[in-house]
Amino acid sequence: MNSDVEDLLREGMERFTADLRAPAGLVRQAIRRRRRRLALGSVTGAAAALTASGVALAAIAPGAPAAPGAGIGTTAYVVQRVSSALTAAQPGDVAQIAVTRSVTTGGKTVTTTAEEWSYGNRWRSVMYSSTGERVYDEGFSSSSVYTLVSYLTRTWAREPGLGRPAAPTIVPFLFGLRHKTLPLPASLGYGPGRLKGPVAVPRTCQPVISGIALLFQPGLPGIGLAAGPLTGIGFSAASLPAARALRNAISCGILTVAGHQSVAGIEAIELTSKAISPISETIWVTPHTYLPVRVVIRSAHGAPDLRQTADITWLQPTAQNLARLAVPVPAGFRKVSLPKVLLPMARKIGPSFLDSSRLPLLFGKPR
Amino acid sequence: MPPDWSTADRSTAELERFLTERADHLLRTAVLLTGSREAGEDLLQTAVERLLRRWHRFDGNPEAYLRRTLCNLATDGYRRAGRWRQKERLLRSSTLEAHDVTGEVDLRDALVRLLLQLPVRQRAVLVLRYWEQLSDSETAALLGCPEGSVKSAGSRGLARLRELAEDWNDAAALCGPEWKRS
Repeated sequence: MNSDVEDLLREGMERFTADLRAPAGLVRQAIRRRRRRLALGSVTGAAAALTASGVALAAIAPGAPAAPGAGIGTTAYVVQRVSSALTAAQPGDVAQIAVTRSVTTGGKTVTTTAEEWSYGNRWRSVMYSSTGERVYDEGFSSSSVYTLVSYLTRTWAREPGLGRPAAPTIVPFLFGLRHKTLPLPASLGYGPGRLKGPVAVPRTCQPVISGIALLFQPGLPGIGLAAGPLTGIGFSAASLPAARALRNAISCGILTVAGHQSVAGIEAIELTSKAISPISETIWVTPHTYLPVRVVIRSAHGAPDLRQTADITWLQPTAQNLARLAVPVPAGFRKVSLPKVLLPMARKIGPSFLDSSRLPLLFGKPR
Repeated sequence: MPPDWSTADRSTAELERFLTERADHLLRTAVLLTGSREAGEDLLQTAVERLLRRWHRFDGNPEAYLRRTLCNLATDGYRRAGRWRQKERLLRSSTLEAHDVTGEVDLRDALVRLLLQLPVRQRAVLVLRYWEQLSDSETAALLGCPEGSVKSAGSRGLARLRELAEDWNDAAALCGPEWKRS
């Protein structure tokens, strides 16, 4: 039996790998990656310095023409590189994300901003009001301790053991297209209802992907998504890292290479989502690292007018950058239980604060 | 006659030539260590990058170096990164899905699938023993652990696979000819 199993294992390994061929240009790619890493180190160092001095990082030049000679790779090529870049970057680099969200209702636009940092299992988000005041600051430490500081009520809470956020800020958000109704993320301003929409997703994309992946969705990473309005569509944020979601989105033809555009001084490759969802998504990736530098999510025509822009900087995990992941508690703030921070905030901000990602926090351990 | 890779002061072209010959095999090792093509390619690419860094003053067998780097990355580096295990599970499940779709299910596939679910150390030992066909002592040297650890990890891994094979045979007896033995 022993030798049988060993022989079968050998044969199985042969069969499993029989059609594998190494991609050409491994050395060239290694040289490029090394140069890119060195360049990224210096670029992100400079970016951190700019942030510290209060200079806006995200200078957009919409509609800027593509650099002459900047060839646009095929979608599959770009996506493969993006996917590899995300996979490689997530454990090693700190993602610093500046999120701007605009909601227009009845001709009035309200813009809020947030700053987020993500590194491995650690994550932090600071939300600002439309007038630029800090509203709340929340985050997970590496030991799964969740801290929430409310600047509205000058209270704070810290809760250990809430469960490690399985995915960092880069949480792909899937819509339950298989049901032909689309649960919309509360953090984008939609209510808990569902919006019907014409949907045509290739059957081959199901069940691996049942909709459009939205990257860099603000909200608690990993927690609550499966327990919120998305329950029942077989989706768990924990089970779908960004790299895979993006890869799936591309392989299912949901994202395509649209061209080049200047983003924060980089001639980025623009990936756009196809119009099969009430929400469109555009991702810009740098041609050097293939890491996303900007993600824009917009509501479709006819829906409430929403636009969310996430500008991403990939930082080296230096002590200074890692310090950004800690949630500071200002002097004079009162420590209370977590529900006593959450509930007053929900009353002041609105019920959307207790979205699918935060609601489970009210009931203790979400997982 | 195979080229002599044990000389120092090498050019990048030499590394390219070496990889032209051996990259396919190394990729297969990487895929068996990680469970998916994407992760395997990434692993190999990282290992090549590391080799490239020291290539000009490298004095040794590049294949052995790459194999060792693949194993180290698979067993230590990625595990330390924390999130790797989540991805690994995912990659495993995508591998399973791909196979289930084709309906190509037999014991050999099942054994490989189970192999991909073994703890990474056991998996590395079995890949090195039965794919790379290294001896226990060579495997131990490559993984940097005592030979006894290699033997016990290999033995535990094989025991899991044997359990599966026995279950498989029981199911075949129960379910009839549609359960393909091989």
